Amino acid sequence: MKESPNLIFHVLFLLLLISPSVFSWKKDEFRNCNQTPFCKRARSRKPGACNLIATEVSISDDGDLTAKLIPKTPENNESQDTPVEVDSKPLLLTISVYRDGILRLKIDEDQSLNPPKKRFEVPDVILDEFLSKKLYLQRLSEEKIDNDSGFSSVVYLDGDYEGVLRHDPFEVFVRERGNGKRVLSINSNGLFDFEQLREKKEGDDWEERFRSHTDTRPYGPQSISFDVSFFGADIVSGIPEHATSLALKPTSGPGVEDGFSEPYRLFNLDVFEYLHESPFGLYGSIPFMFSHGKARGSSGFFWLNAAEMQIDVFGTGWDAGQDKIMMPVDEKRIDTLWMSEAGVVDAFFFVGPGPKDVVRQYTSVTGRPAMPQLFATAYHQCRWNYRDEEDVFGVDSKFDEHDIPYDVLWLDIEHTDGKRYFTWDKVLFPNPEEMQNKLAAKGRHMVTIVDPHIKRDDNYYIHKEASDNGYYVKDASNRDFDGWCWPGSSSYVDVVNPDIRSWWADKFSYGNYIGSTPSLYIWNDMNEPSVFNGPEVTMPRDALHFGGTEHRELHNAYGYYFHMATSNGLVKRGNGKDRPFVLSRAFFPGTQRYGAVWTGDNTAEWDHLRVSVPMLLTLGLTGISFSGADVGGFFGNPEPDLLVRWYQLGAYYPFFRAHAHQDTKRREPWLFGERNTQLIREAIHTRYMFLPYFYTLFREANITGTPVIRPLWMEFPADEETFSNDEAFMVGNGLLVQGVYTERAKHVSVYLPGDQSWYDLRNGATYKGGKRHKFEALEDSVPAFQRAGTIIPRKDRFRRSSTQMDKDPYTLVIALNSSKEAEGELYIDDGKSFNFENGAYIHRHLKFSNGKLTSSNAAPSGAGGNKFSTDCTVERIILLGLSPAPKSALIEPANQKVGIEMGPLTIRPGKSPSFATIRKPNVRIADNWTIKIS
Amino acid sequence: MNKKKKIGGLRRLFEISIVIIIGCICAITRSAAAAAAKDDQFLLLLGVSPQDEDYYKGLLSSPSSTIKCKDGSFKFSTSQLNDDFCDCPDASDEPGTSACPNGKFYCKNAGHIPFSLYSSRVNDGICDCCDGSDEYDGKVKCPNTCWEAGKVARERLKMKIATYQQGVTVRNRLVEQAKLAIAKEEAELSKLKNEEKILKGLVEQLQERKEQIEKAEEKERLQKEKEDKERKETEEANLKEKQNGEQVESSEADALKNDIHDKIGEQVESSEADALKNEMHDKIGLLGDSSSSQDVMEGHGDSESEAQHGEFDVKEESPIGDVKPLQEDSLLHATEKEEQLTVDGQPGLDTGNQAEVEEDNSESLSKEELGRLVASRWTGEKTEPQTQEVSSAKDKNHGTEEEDAYGEEYSGYDSEEDEHRYDNNDDGDNEDQMDDFGGEDHDDSSPSYKSESDDEPDLPAEPSWLEKIQKSVRRIFQAVTFFQTPVDKSEAARVRKEYDESSAKLSKLQSRISSLTHKLKHDFGREKEFYSFYGQCFENKQNKYVYKICPFKQASQVEGHSTTRLGSWEKFEDSYKVMQFLNGDKCWNGPDRSMKVKLRCGLNNEVTDVDEPSRCEYLALLSTPAVCVEEKLKELQDKLDMMNKEQPTSHDEL
Repeated sequence: MKESPNLIFHVLFLLLLISPSVFSWKKDEFRNCNQTPFCKRARSRKPGACNLIATEVSISDDGDLTAKLIPKTPENNESQDTPVEVDSKPLLLTISVYRDGILRLKIDEDQSLNPPKKRFEVPDVILDEFLSKKLYLQRLSEEKIDNDSGFSSVVYLDGDYEGVLRHDPFEVFVRERGNGKRVLSINSNGLFDFEQLREKKEGDDWEERFRSHTDTRPYGPQSISFDVSFFGADIVSGIPEHATSLALKPTSGPGVEDGFSEPYRLFNLDVFEYLHESPFGLYGSIPFMFSHGKARGSSGFFWLNAAEMQIDVFGTGWDAGQDKIMMPVDEKRIDTLWMSEAGVVDAFFFVGPGPKDVVRQYTSVTGRPAMPQLFATAYHQCRWNYRDEEDVFGVDSKFDEHDIPYDVLWLDIEHTDGKRYFTWDKVLFPNPEEMQNKLAAKGRHMVTIVDPHIKRDDNYYIHKEASDNGYYVKDASNRDFDGWCWPGSSSYVDVVNPDIRSWWADKFSYGNYIGSTPSLYIWNDMNEPSVFNGPEVTMPRDALHFGGTEHRELHNAYGYYFHMATSNGLVKRGNGKDRPFVLSRAFFPGTQRYGAVWTGDNTAEWDHLRVSVPMLLTLGLTGISFSGADVGGFFGNPEPDLLVRWYQLGAYYPFFRAHAHQDTKRREPWLFGERNTQLIREAIHTRYMFLPYFYTLFREANITGTPVIRPLWMEFPADEETFSNDEAFMVGNGLLVQGVYTERAKHVSVYLPGDQSWYDLRNGATYKGGKRHKFEALEDSVPAFQRAGTIIPRKDRFRRSSTQMDKDPYTLVIALNSSKEAEGELYIDDGKSFNFENGAYIHRHLKFSNGKLTSSNAAPSGAGGNKFSTDCTVERIILLGLSPAPKSALIEPANQKVGIEMGPLTIRPGKSPSFATIRKPNVRIADNWTIKIS
Repeated sequence: MNKKKKIGGLRRLFEISIVIIIGCICAITRSAAAAAAKDDQFLLLLGVSPQDEDYYKGLLSSPSSTIKCKDGSFKFSTSQLNDDFCDCPDASDEPGTSACPNGKFYCKNAGHIPFSLYSSRVNDGICDCCDGSDEYDGKVKCPNTCWEAGKVARERLKMKIATYQQGVTVRNRLVEQAKLAIAKEEAELSKLKNEEKILKGLVEQLQERKEQIEKAEEKERLQKEKEDKERKETEEANLKEKQNGEQVESSEADALKNDIHDKIGEQVESSEADALKNEMHDKIGLLGDSSSSQDVMEGHGDSESEAQHGEFDVKEESPIGDVKPLQEDSLLHATEKEEQLTVDGQPGLDTGNQAEVEEDNSESLSKEELGRLVASRWTGEKTEPQTQEVSSAKDKNHGTEEEDAYGEEYSGYDSEEDEHRYDNNDDGDNEDQMDDFGGEDHDDSSPSYKSESDDEPDLPAEPSWLEKIQKSVRRIFQAVTFFQTPVDKSEAARVRKEYDESSAKLSKLQSRISSLTHKLKHDFGREKEFYSFYGQCFENKQNKYVYKICPFKQASQVEGHSTTRLGSWEKFEDSYKVMQFLNGDKCWNGPDRSMKVKLRCGLNNEVTDVDEPSRCEYLALLSTPAVCVEEKLKELQDKLDMMNKEQPTSHDEL
């Protein structure tokens, strides 16, 4: 098909006119709160505006507390803010309690009163296992709180907590039993509002317009808003995804900084060149807020709702002069306002009290992070795009040439035949299987991209099947929604429907995905979903999903279902034997069960390096442990200094991947001169060295929900200095890492928390805890420290990829605390299969005390029938903080003597301080043994 | 100098290794595990390269001896040598294990080429050495493939040598020719300079005469005008008397006169504008293609010389010469440049405006346009209204059909990585690839052509032409009597004609001089081996793109009627192994385009591959005899000799 030259010239001319030069964040293309009627309405309400009271409080047959919320009485109907709610019907309130002190609050319209439509409740997020932990309430006690005229109903929670429903005014809170101290509450400021669905009347104009888009809004206003208070909180955190600090800045009331006057928005969007400091909503949404304070510890509030949400954090004193309510004034607290466009109230209260308790409680509802394959925890090399097979082999062999390990090579959209996912460009990738097999022979894996937009091309089998079967999301007039994305005109698979998810999952079988092999894994991008010509670059809110659900009701969960379907597809593909690896950009509560996420299209700037840390820490707090930011920055060309610093920090990201936009210069590790190549190699090697430790941490996350990387205050909850520190972070409980965030930095200031000392990873030097230290910024690594009292397992031998490290011996680094003790763990399994779920793993507990190192089994006895074994041994044990150095050690039960020599902390060319090193104890890592030094 | 040293070193390395190989051949070919007890010595020295054997000698004498790590940091004993525990940070105690992260393991690879592996490859379950010596812990069995792999390598080496042998001859011829041609051009240049001097004198004389004639003519003209005026005045006076009462009419006539006057004025103006335009046009022509300015001159050249030098002109006009399209190109360039100038005229305002335009428009765009617009932010692509393939625009950078041979390069022992090691030079792989083409292809398929013909003398060659002019000028001077009024018209015309012709010739001569000077200023290589590249272009077609590489000039990418400049000639780099073109057209959101052309020994000048490894940074491979140097040939022959000598006596598998 030749186009006439005339046409081409026309196009060229047009393009010159609108040609993109320097783009940046398009603020005007996105709605702010004032342009979002429900947000504007909710934000303008005054404290105490809620006039609902709880009546007919009782225990239901299901063991829940139920009540009806009705407007107080018509007599005090002088509230001017809200017009009299003509349609106001009683709302149904339900409180259920679950093990581990979790209270669940639901408020919805009463279905027996025939509302125009059933409001949407998000399916497939809450674990069945959690539901089975429900405690059936037997009785209800009533009491009067403070000087109330009415009653409050009290239910017992697991642990030393109580849930309270105050009747008038209506309020729900959790308090400590005994002292009655509140933990967290809802509607204490009386901002609760619930817009009930009603029939459209003559003259009702429900349409909303934004830019060139019209939202028909056939069901009219249906938003919900309420306030939540966190007691004893010094900071609140969570509610990703925003590129902002870990401790959320206030967005309303006093102390609002420039650029933070908008509420935190939760609306999954594909944002081109996002800002590094803004409450603007990015690719994923988790409406779960975490609070932490020195006085009481941590608590959490989770609202399961997939519609657009806006959340205000009030600055202290926001309610000054407001004559209200009933809260204890003496207590420190942070108030927040939660607003959602649709859905129901389905909220969870988590009492903590420790930060790790809150994560455990939250992930008991939404699921623990999946256990990744070992290779996925190693280094990933990505670029938009590795052009063809030749390019792939070239990059692969260059890694070998420079002795830089990597585990996964990624292919972006250009590998497909015209952006038809599951296909290959026949010219560029004529032999995809052979290509994957060649890499697999070196223990390496590949990842290809599969996005949810399907090219509307009748010759494309996916499109054919999807359109024939009606598997696409529909537009407001019930035709297949047709939007614009990479392939041009596209439709979107309606993954909200479990049957369609199952169909999608089947597309990943080796038979269906031609050219795929067992070493190929998947990347889900653009699943917010991104629609180039849609309102705010996404799908219109009045688009229709399975069951007549409007897109507005589930928008934030769309990407989650897509991720789920893809992940399930990989499980199916491997007959349930191979752990899936799927990276997703969009996310929602529960995403942690399906794979990793990354922070999307960041930029090669120091500020973006800096903000990656709070972004990833926030994700960890909200359950998503397996996360990373594009090393080097997606847009733009990093200076070598920035790139090296990014590698040095990225080596400690849970998900460690370099990625770059197609317009950027090539930036594989060896392209910046000998010295920088060496520095990047060193950074990547550091990650490989710590892989046993990381893998153990991933397992910890998998069991408890505790994230791999953690805010300092998660490990040091009482150290106030740490509360606003999001420059440094903990990897597990044993390593503290501080990024270097400025160009050609000379010095770095690092706060080391706690009362124990810290050992510098570079040279073993000791530093006191509870102090800020100033370090020289060395070019060969970012500052990182091992905490005294920990034992960290490493594998120090370098290999091409993690696959070849399988049989390598371990090094144990024992950092003694002031009482000459240390503890650590090591988890090992086959790195691939699900057999670990049936007990096929090794979990060691390592303890050093009284001059003796003991390795004992940490696995629960009789954990499944499966066994996993390894012949790996320990080749080196390094003792930090022991002087004078002992001469020899005795291994038991073998009763064998081994020498102790002085050796370096890490083997690198050049002189370095040396430490007592037990040389070749050669004990098997899987066995019980002790090593006594003398 | 350096190179020679390397070669020497390499040779020594090979020789030593042969000695070792003969000594240890049984040990190598047996399973290391089985041989452990018997071949302690061998195990101790596992992975030690021949140069290092002396270093370890001290350890072999007695079991209790110790030596210092190479870096002097620690000491280690015989029992610590290759005991799978890293004692020296520089890995000197573990040449044969993976215990030290910075170690090197030496594969002897009898029958092939020995090389050093990173210690990270030892016992990692992957066979790296063709003799299998890197995998000795019994987890995998690595067959000894050295001889077979070596055979392939030897075959390729032989082919490469064959290419080099021929290539060296061709190159020598090129060097000879270049020397002759340069000498000739230098001679021509000095001759031309002499002629220029003479001609300049003549032209000056003629000009003087011409001006004198013109002065005389002017005088005549003024005289005539004066007379005319006087005559007119008397006539008018007569007329006035006649027309006393008809003023209205007269004023109308005035108006008319004015009108006419205006029109004349306009005409004058417009003709001035034309002249200006012509001038501009000329300038653009010059700008667009300075080195071919002479061709432009040629185009406007006088008919006389065309007639006289028909032979040359025929060549120029012939379509095979490809000169025309090129000229069109350069014209096109000029106009393109102009357009760009107008579009990019206000760089400061530009970006802002464009963004605004887009901002304003995006609300009124159709759905599809909006989709394209938003997509273009990520891609930087132009939102062409697509009918069939959206991807087409993005695909443009990719070559289509990769030769199968290319793919095979990566299989087995011939992978790039290995090649690098075996070859000990960084371009071996690609060169081998060239050889595959080199053998069969001959000139007929070569897409190179002469872009210009200025290496042919384009001025009359006969010695007589200058004399002829001199003669005719003399004749004129003799025949024409000056200072006579009225001027003899035919004589004046002759002088003018002669002046025009001579000055045209002079400017031609000067342009030839400047182009020759310009040409000879170029760096044609150490032995002027690249002289023949001057004025040549080499092409390579990839999909719908034609890549045009014109050494000493520019590189471009042509798609249909549109040409993108990938860079202007910058220089040779990397001791004449790379040609660099810089400052091409600007890339969206990226750098100015640039191109590197790697030169490989081959029998023809041929672009074998063009790639864009990084955005807007192009890389081409050009095979040419100009880089088939003799030293390299020797090096290759030595290498082959070495490989042939190392045939193992048995083919036992490990």
